[in-house]
Amino acid sequence: MSDKKTLGEMLTERGVSRRSFLKYASYTASILALPPTAATAIAQGIANARRQSVIWLSFQECTGCTESITRAHAPSIEDLIFDFISLDYHHTLQNASGHLAEEARMQAMKDNAGEYIVIVDGSVPLKDDGIYSTIAGITNLQMLEETCRDAFAVISVGSCATFGGIPGANPNPTGAVPVSDIITDKPVINISGCPPIPEAMTGTIAYLLSFGSVPELDHLGRPKAFFGEAIHDRCYRRPFYERGMFAKSFDDEGARQGWCLFEVGCKGPVSYNACATLKWNGGVSFPIQSGHGCLGCSEPGFWDMGGFYKPLSTAKGDPLQWAGGAAVAGAAIGAASAAIARNKRNKVMKEGK
Amino acid sequence: MRDSAAPCLSEMSTGMASSVLAEIGRMLDTLAGSDEPGSIDLRSLPLSDADRAQLEELLGRGEVSAELALAGDSEVWETTYPGVWWIRHRGAGGKIASEVISVCRIPEILMTHPADIEAAASRLREKLETTDV
Amino acid sequence: MELLEFARGPVLTFAITVFIAGITYRVFSLFLMWRTKDSSAGRKRSRSAFASAVREVIRRLWPQAVYQQRTMFELVNGYVFHIGLAIIVFLLAPHIVFIKDLVGLSWPALPNNVVYAVSIITMVSLIAALVMRIANPPQRLISTFDDWFSWIVTFLPVLTGVIATSHLGARYETLLALHILSVALLLIWIPFGKLMHFFLVFVTRSQTGAHLSHRGAQL
Repeated sequence: MSDKKTLGEMLTERGVSRRSFLKYASYTASILALPPTAATAIAQGIANARRQSVIWLSFQECTGCTESITRAHAPSIEDLIFDFISLDYHHTLQNASGHLAEEARMQAMKDNAGEYIVIVDGSVPLKDDGIYSTIAGITNLQMLEETCRDAFAVISVGSCATFGGIPGANPNPTGAVPVSDIITDKPVINISGCPPIPEAMTGTIAYLLSFGSVPELDHLGRPKAFFGEAIHDRCYRRPFYERGMFAKSFDDEGARQGWCLFEVGCKGPVSYNACATLKWNGGVSFPIQSGHGCLGCSEPGFWDMGGFYKPLSTAKGDPLQWAGGAAVAGAAIGAASAAIARNKRNKVMKEGK
Repeated sequence: MRDSAAPCLSEMSTGMASSVLAEIGRMLDTLAGSDEPGSIDLRSLPLSDADRAQLEELLGRGEVSAELALAGDSEVWETTYPGVWWIRHRGAGGKIASEVISVCRIPEILMTHPADIEAAASRLREKLETTDV
Repeated sequence: MELLEFARGPVLTFAITVFIAGITYRVFSLFLMWRTKDSSAGRKRSRSAFASAVREVIRRLWPQAVYQQRTMFELVNGYVFHIGLAIIVFLLAPHIVFIKDLVGLSWPALPNNVVYAVSIITMVSLIAALVMRIANPPQRLISTFDDWFSWIVTFLPVLTGVIATSHLGARYETLLALHILSVALLLIWIPFGKLMHFFLVFVTRSQTGAHLSHRGAQL
């Protein structure tokens, strides 16, 4: 992409009015939890921006994140983001293949040095020199370092790229690490989730585009607009938790009545994401509304939290694994100390005679 | 889509509508006094469906309403309280993508942007040059 | 999250292991201890050793009239925090879920906000007990490390539990982790300090009852 026109000029030519920008900006301000007055600034910012070059790298991943961001809707306001970016490299979506694909990546990096955004889904294997995942003859680590060198910002999408995800789960056979472990010299925005909510991904890109800066992030590098509150705190079933009304299984009366899913393993209290507010599939529903507890997929190590159906307040693993041994050992030491005391006493009694 | 047997808070009125009304009243005072507009993002508030319907009914529909055909439909209307506008943007599948109450003389979205005026002028010139009217 | 996983996993397993080993150690060393054979015939007594033991346990649930005036506050306060702790531990839904997962038993819970209120009352009661101990010179004089430390490890789980429930100061997962860590500390300490009375209180009182009746005390 070597288009030097602004997005405003480019889209006006295509008959997209500034009203559409404003409408998009109003929608974006709302999902980013910005005041509605920010819409004007967002519209202005996007109109004055150049089309954003994006290089999308896919490492140890399942393509679910791409599925999420490209979920087919009728052409509508939510999809305007795809006119604002130029996706210059993406394995799954691009036409080119083989060395032509790699050339496209190199070209984009050269043309937009210092300005392009790198989006990464998937974790990076480090064990055995990273041989467990290679693309075009180089390891994921090499490709990541090479591509990020001249990037403006890096966005990790999905729990694999942000926290290691499933490849990084115990026992982590490939030595998978998140992107933020490798790229430390520039902003890495983490948009976790398995997959992330599409609006969280597009909203963050829109923010970068209109303000030219990184949105406010939490301690795990996630935009606070989407990851600022626990699912539990925004859950419509929360009042049932407070009242102690719980579904005990997935087909009991409580489940049918829509009670709290804490006892069937919901991780909502420790999961930070916008599922309860933005919801999924264009606002249709989210896991808890559909009757299943939250898996905590946006949290580090969600795969190893001790089981999706084990309540959060239970112990992880088997805390009684050494109970038998402990009882025997305790009894043995107790008996021994009693025996020693008896012995000592008997001795004293004998000597006393 | 939701199981009809499951109780849902969206059906309950929480009294939020009246607090939104109070906020609108303050914004109208500001607009009248210093000509400074204000707006409220309804999606960012914990409004139930019942609250939203109640608010819409309380504000009613006034003299002006407009339908906008841009990347999905949008509706804008002035409520029975002049200066209080309701802006509803629809997105994919006709779902509400953004809903804002704007307290102003006229919402920005109704005004034509200078860039669009320029584009219109050049498009019209082109038309005149290429066709006989 | 990592702190929470650490607390729920290795720390809790370690604490429960120490707790079980400690309890069996205490019980075995106590019950296998020599007992001085009482060769005396004993006084003529009106009831059996067992009945005397039971009687003593019941009798000690409430003080004798002469002491009531002076000890009323400690007595009521003691009951308040003991019952409060029992309600918190055994009737809060997340706790029942924990126990069910551990041993398979479960029972109905109280609503969370009721237990929350009980927790506040329990904390006030525990603080009152501490203030009494500090304010009363003879009691302060005879207090040992065991007394102070046992109070702290009992109070901490209630405090952290209340803070976690009300989301004060930090993120919930951190607060929940601190709560579990404080419980682990309590579990580890129980067998080795005076908190062992949760198990031994009726054992020792029975022994006292049986012994005194053998000696012919009229109780």
